[in-house]
Amino acid sequence: MRIRCPYCGERDNGEFSYLGDAAPVRPDGMEASAEAMHDYVYLRDNRAGEIRELWYHGAGCRAWLVVTRDTRTHAIGEVAPARDIAKARAVTPAGSASHA
Amino acid sequence: MAEHATLWRPRGAWDLYAQAGRHGRREGPAGVTVTPREGLALMSVTAVDGAEDRLAAAIRDRLSLSLPEPGAALFSGETGLIWSGPGQWLALAPARGDLDGLGAAVTALAAVADQSDGRAVLRLSGPDARRVLEKGVSVDLHPRRFGPGRTAVTSVAHIGVQLWQRDDGPTYEIAVARSFAGSLWSWLEEAAAEFGCEMRAGG
Repeated sequence: MRIRCPYCGERDNGEFSYLGDAAPVRPDGMEASAEAMHDYVYLRDNRAGEIRELWYHGAGCRAWLVVTRDTRTHAIGEVAPARDIAKARAVTPAGSASHA
Repeated sequence: MAEHATLWRPRGAWDLYAQAGRHGRREGPAGVTVTPREGLALMSVTAVDGAEDRLAAAIRDRLSLSLPEPGAALFSGETGLIWSGPGQWLALAPARGDLDGLGAAVTALAAVADQSDGRAVLRLSGPDARRVLEKGVSVDLHPRRFGPGRTAVTSVAHIGVQLWQRDDGPTYEIAVARSFAGSLWSWLEEAAAEFGCEMRAGG
């Protein structure tokens, strides 16, 4: 399996470390309910199909990436820098910051 | 005390490992020539988020080089800037001290750290230089995908390395954390043996 790093180009998956589902967003720890934290920390869907997940290009550019992968075929789709996605998420459509 | 002080000598990163002379196959001309690049000035430059444009201007004033795009390395003579990660570059100059003052020149725009003693660099040239490197990296070094002015951060035999191509001789340079110089040399000596490897004296 190869992953097309947006910075380095196509690289062997041995250069990357896997974290998991990119969807969960950490709730505000002081405000969140125990259920919400439990869900964030432990509960994951196990989808058959496309999933967006976090990979770390540790042996290359040391960037975190959001990789779209099909769990049935391991086909890799879009790969984007995680920082771009986090920055987009941190700004609401109105343009004000919603997360610290 | 002064007597003891005279016992301390600067030592090249490769001195303990890579003996000058012919390694591997003895017949015919050497397929790869290896030159230790001692005494370089090396600085890592990490841009402050959002300051890349101003950093590019400050670097252009100081080094007369643009900030290279991902995967690119720019040289002006022996002074270069080599992309090494998002918002990160390695600045290189031929002699220790050449990059002094770089940090002050980009204050508040980038974090600059001296790597001159932290990285060990080898130059590889000769007709089989690419074939030797290809045995270690999972990056396509064929001229259709890689060439002068290209760089890759990757690993060789589980050792983190950064390599870049200087010219289409081809000439490559490979940088490794200094404490891994011995490990990289032990891989290189084996990998180059079938082609014959000429190790030059440091320079």
